[in-house]
Amino acid sequence: MDKKRLTRILAKADRQEVAAMAADILKTYRPVILKEPGKTLAMIKMREPVKQSLFYIGEVIVSEAVVEIDGARGVAVVMGDDSEKTLDMAIIDAAVNKGVFTGMETLLALEKGQNDMVMRENAMHLKTMVSFESMDQEAPDDLNAFKKAQL
Amino acid sequence: MAYVAVSGGKEAIGESIRLLDFYRSGTDKDVEVEAVENKLSLLVDRIMSEAGLYSKTYAALALKQCEGSLEEAVFLLRAYRSTLTRNYYTDTVDTGAMRVVRRISAAFKDITGGQILGATYDYTHRLINFDMDGESPAELRRRMTAALSAQAPEEVVPCPRLSDELRKEGLIDSFDEDNRSPRDVTVKMLEFPAGRSARLQTLSRADAGFISGLAYSALRGFGQVHPTVGELRCGYVELYVSYLPDENESIFIGEILITEVECFNAADDKDRLKLAVGYGAVFGRNENKAISMAVIDRELDSGGPYPTQDEEFVLTHGDSLEMNGFISHLKLPHYVTFQSKLDSVRKTRVAGNERKL
Repeated sequence: MDKKRLTRILAKADRQEVAAMAADILKTYRPVILKEPGKTLAMIKMREPVKQSLFYIGEVIVSEAVVEIDGARGVAVVMGDDSEKTLDMAIIDAAVNKGVFTGMETLLALEKGQNDMVMRENAMHLKTMVSFESMDQEAPDDLNAFKKAQL
Repeated sequence: MAYVAVSGGKEAIGESIRLLDFYRSGTDKDVEVEAVENKLSLLVDRIMSEAGLYSKTYAALALKQCEGSLEEAVFLLRAYRSTLTRNYYTDTVDTGAMRVVRRISAAFKDITGGQILGATYDYTHRLINFDMDGESPAELRRRMTAALSAQAPEEVVPCPRLSDELRKEGLIDSFDEDNRSPRDVTVKMLEFPAGRSARLQTLSRADAGFISGLAYSALRGFGQVHPTVGELRCGYVELYVSYLPDENESIFIGEILITEVECFNAADDKDRLKLAVGYGAVFGRNENKAISMAVIDRELDSGGPYPTQDEEFVLTHGDSLEMNGFISHLKLPHYVTFQSKLDSVRKTRVAGNERKL
């Protein structure tokens, strides 16, 4: 599982779900905290589609923490100010890097639930997909009609 | 302009600050931060956008602290933000991959990916719902949770941009990716002419009322005539930062809700016409601000004699903190400058009276 996927699951998970996975690791390992959980900012870089240039839309508050388990480093950066969750995420990352993480099935189950919820929300929104009927025959109904009119 | 330092008033100022609590104490009922965050989310979105800081909880808390004053809440967020380090820059956000919750076009009826109305007040009757006064929040939540659970899951499919299709047809100018580092107006002061990155950042942080008024003036004739909203989309984009132990990997830090708009105008292209595009992108669900930003972006590109086409006018007068701070300073002691004005007025009146005699 790559880092993007791992961190997406953990970031979207509840604090308790992450804490339970970290607690399993703590039964065996004693992580060293290299950077205590703390707040910092991340500037959000965007690409605008008109001239394909970059700009900053604004910042977001994130919490960060760094730990180490037997020489394997674990890092967490996540939106919000939940110090405990951030520390737990760093512990899980360190365990993954050390190759001792045993909660992969739990992660996959969490991901399934998260994806399911997103798809249900998506279904609610897709119900508002609209089909307008043009009352003006002159108006191009769709993009293809517009393109033909240009030719 | 001149100011004068004054001393004294320490006790009165202390009592004045304490009196603010009195103005928040008119009821035993509390405004819970969680409730503000979730039930006044459009206001929270506006504050985050004008503060340039995406933090729903802190925006809600700021609103509670200052009796719902928009400019005070923006001030509080900006002030808090200035106490934090900035240790990260996100990877470039791909808004093309947005998880769309609303997407409309005023240019074409049928667009690839479809028009999704999402949640909008556009079609509501603007009648006060008196039943809402006694609404049960628990019942509302139960009803909506049940509705969500009852949905058959639908795969999320990113919607292609309408402008990309028109670009393929050669109707809109195409540009290569410009990967120059953006200017950050929170670090370096604006200079004129401002680059595109400084312009977009400034407009995105601007006071919604200010840029809506400017865009309105352009629509009414003090600028180009009536652009068309080619595409308005609102949805979630994912944020990633580099993974420190291995820069080849990125980690997910969360997702934010943004509104993005592309407005189309007809523009000269040698001996024929083309479509020119104005762009707007803001935090949260804030459609009029995003549309206004797109209108002004295009106005500034076109240039001309109107205020909306004057870069310095537009970019230096729309920041909530700066504009409200400057207006607010008029309340501070101007005793010396006013005495000077008063003396001048008195002298001219005395001189005038002498001439009459």
